[in-house]
Amino acid sequence: MDIDTLNALVTDAIWRAQELDALGIQPASAWREVSVFEEELAKALPSSELEGQIARRGAVRAALKAGEYARAQSLCDTYLADTDAPTFLKTGVQEILEEADREISSRFQHAAKHHTPREARDLASRFSDAGAFSLAA
Amino acid sequence: MVELATLALERNAHTSGARVSLVLEQVLSSGVLLWPAADLSKIDLYDHNRITEDGAEAVALVLVHRHREWRVVRRIQHGEHADWLLEDCQGGVHERVALEVSGVDRGATNSRLTEKLIQVAKMMNVHQRWACVVGFEEPTAVLRPAEEQLHGY
Repeated sequence: MDIDTLNALVTDAIWRAQELDALGIQPASAWREVSVFEEELAKALPSSELEGQIARRGAVRAALKAGEYARAQSLCDTYLADTDAPTFLKTGVQEILEEADREISSRFQHAAKHHTPREARDLASRFSDAGAFSLAA
Repeated sequence: MVELATLALERNAHTSGARVSLVLEQVLSSGVLLWPAADLSKIDLYDHNRITEDGAEAVALVLVHRHREWRVVRRIQHGEHADWLLEDCQGGVHERVALEVSGVDRGATNSRLTEKLIQVAKMMNVHQRWACVVGFEEPTAVLRPAEEQLHGY
C-alpha cells in the first residue's frame, strides 16, 4: 500500500475513533485500526522524518487507547531499538508509555503495590503468545 | 466533516451564502460560505462539541487550501500538539505544515487562538506551525502562524 493511501486510511480511522470516544462508546477496535495503520506508516517511513515520527508515536498511543498494552510495549521496544531514531523520538515514545503506566497504577492502586505495569504487560504478552499454561513451564 | 460544518452553521441560524470574516495573518478580509442544506433533524446524532470542532476543521481546511494552497497530508492524533499535517507546495518547495484547529460555537475567538498558538508551537521538527480558530456565531475564521505569537507580534 502506498503512503498516500495509508495517510487517507489513518485519517479516516482517527476521525472515526475520536467520534466514538466523543459519543462515550468504547471504541477499542477503532483505535486498534488506527494503531495498525500507524504501524504500517512507521514501517514505510524512516524515523528521521517527521511523518515517520508521528506514525511511531501514533502506533504506540493508539495501541494503548485500544487497551493493547502488550502490543504497545512491543512497538515501543522496536522503536527504541532503532539506532537511527533521534533521541527526542525515543524519549517521546517512552513518555507515552510512562503516562499510560501512571494512569494504570492510579486506577489499580492495590495491584500496583505488587506489580509494575511493565510486569503486567510482560505477563499479558506471555499469555497471548503461549496461552495460560506457559506460566507453568 | 462538511455535514458537521453545515450543522454548526445552521444551528446558529446561518444559511448557505453567509458572509465569513477572515483574518489571515492579521489581514482582515471577507468571503462567502456555500454549503448543501443540512438536515437539522440529525443534529442529536452527534456530540455537541464534535459538531463545533469537526465543523471548524472543515472550514479551516477549505480556507487554507483556498488562500494558502496547502494540501492535506493526514490527520494527527491528540497529543501531537496539532490536528493536521499539511503540505505547502508554493514556490516548488515542499514544506510540512502543522495546523491546530479549534471551533467556537458562541463568543469571541481571541483567547482560544492564543491557547492554540501556544499548543501548536510545541510541535517539533516541522517547517511551519499554524493555528486556525473558526467562530460560528458570527462566521469568522482567524489563521495565524505560531512564530508570530512566539515573537510577540
